[in-house]
Amino acid sequence: MRLVIAKCSVDYAGRLTAHLPMAPRLVLIKSDGSVSIHADDRAFKPLNWMNPPCTVREEAFEENGAIARWTVTHGKSGEQLILTINEILHDVSYELGVDPGLQKDGVEAHLQELLAEHITTLGDGWSLVRREYPTAIGPVDILCRDHTRGTVAVEIKRRGDIDGVEQLTRYLELLNRDPLLAPVRGIFAAQEIKPQAKVLANDRGIDCVTLDYDALRGIERDGTLF
Amino acid sequence: MKFRIDRDALADAVAWTARSLPARPPVPVLAGMHLEAGDRLKLSAFDYEVSAQVSADIDVEEPGTALVSGRLLSEICRSLPPHPVELTTDGAKVMLSCGSAKFTLMTMPVEDYPSLPAMPPPAGSVGSDEFAAAVSQVAIAAGRDDTIPMLTGVRVEIEGETVTLASTDRYRLAVRELHWKPERPDFSAVALVPAKTLADTAKSLTSGAELAIALGGVGGAGDGMIGFEGGGRRTTSRLLDGDFVKYRSLLPSEYAGYAEVQTSAFVEAVKRVSLVAERNTPVRLSFSQGEVVLEAGTGDEAQAVEALEATLEGDDITIAFNPGFLLDGLGAIGSDIARLSFTTPTKPAVLTGKPAGDGANPNYRYLIMPVRLSG
Repeated sequence: MRLVIAKCSVDYAGRLTAHLPMAPRLVLIKSDGSVSIHADDRAFKPLNWMNPPCTVREEAFEENGAIARWTVTHGKSGEQLILTINEILHDVSYELGVDPGLQKDGVEAHLQELLAEHITTLGDGWSLVRREYPTAIGPVDILCRDHTRGTVAVEIKRRGDIDGVEQLTRYLELLNRDPLLAPVRGIFAAQEIKPQAKVLANDRGIDCVTLDYDALRGIERDGTLF
Repeated sequence: MKFRIDRDALADAVAWTARSLPARPPVPVLAGMHLEAGDRLKLSAFDYEVSAQVSADIDVEEPGTALVSGRLLSEICRSLPPHPVELTTDGAKVMLSCGSAKFTLMTMPVEDYPSLPAMPPPAGSVGSDEFAAAVSQVAIAAGRDDTIPMLTGVRVEIEGETVTLASTDRYRLAVRELHWKPERPDFSAVALVPAKTLADTAKSLTSGAELAIALGGVGGAGDGMIGFEGGGRRTTSRLLDGDFVKYRSLLPSEYAGYAEVQTSAFVEAVKRVSLVAERNTPVRLSFSQGEVVLEAGTGDEAQAVEALEATLEGDDITIAFNPGFLLDGLGAIGSDIARLSFTTPTKPAVLTGKPAGDGANPNYRYLIMPVRLSG
């Protein structure tokens, strides 16, 4: 990752032509060759960019106060991004290595852990059998017993969608073949359950439970009556 | 099946029944409205939670039953010209003619339609307008999210001649007491009715003077159900499970003081001042002798101040509320003068109408949690 802050103007020649006048900007040159030019606002969209595969050619260019010209050429289409640089204010490179990726299911795993810890949220007298109860088609989030010792399989989602209900239905079908567990009831637990998912779940005899993440974490709400 | 019916009578009956049609029917027949022509016309809708049935006068030529798309029928009936309506079945179709307009509707198999739940045993009756008003006063405080299902209900407690309705969403609590005529003088029951269903039902059953309530079936018919009947319309709803909050202990037993403000002026002022209150920020009320100063907004943001005439009994106090909750309460007390009774700025305050005489107990109380002021 190379970060350059430079006074530059940018010309783009390709499917359309665009011109950014001379101004100080942030230029990012990433290890895959991509180049993006950012202004000092907003979080997501560069002013101009070139996706890989592309090559960067740096050359000296002394005209109208410029000191260098960088030409970024796209490998396939031949589109060009031309940066005319008047002054380089900052130029550093860091090796970032391989990125582990965005973890979106952190909350889901945490919900599972919390609900297993506080299984009585689902009802008084309930007890946990185990988290990640293995079945031939993958682990069920939580297997527990209700107050009558009946087996209950719980599928936990952050957003309860119709896919989650289908997933739970498959687990239930398999679990119900086990004479030691059957009959197994299903509970679909999520922070928010879509109306379609609720209808499907009810139609299949699966109960829906909306989870309060804050309450499970023990974060008390301020200013309530009780 | 063949009968004639007055256009408005049909439109009313269909519109009322259509409210209980499920938005997402898990089985197609539930999207249907059940028509049964006998001496009278009986229309029914059912979504496994709530059932609705209404009867209307007709000139019947040939009795019979049919099941047609409820949505479609209600849309058609809403826009019919002012002429008598004739409905006829013809094989698998229902013909509806009104003046020069004619509709042909496909029917669904009547035999697949589930039978409606039986009414629980009759428990007593109540003035329908008073009940509708009482329910609307209480239902505003019910919770709307499903995290705690118990809070989306209205608690109905019946003890002899007194009915107490209560609901809360943890930020406010509304309690209303009213009198009714029980079937038996020693009747007592408790139930938790989905607030939205109860509010819709009470509002739509005001055509008759009296509303009959059916409750308290144990085992057998009507267990876990509540039924309402009035003006030829009857509806049943499944009750919610779970124990309600012990709300009576939340109501303060004594107060440090109270203030009285003219309700309409208070409502207007709160609405005006809260224009600058960002989401989740309070309106601050500073009560002193003869006046209350309303303020909203802080520091670097827009601010608003307004002073109103008020009478204060007790020491000066500054207390802050969520303006939305405060307005809900002011709109519900149904009195020209609002009384706010408080203990301390951090303990719940009670909003009521000004009692008619000294010592008279207000039949409606709206308990509201203040917002703690920082600094």
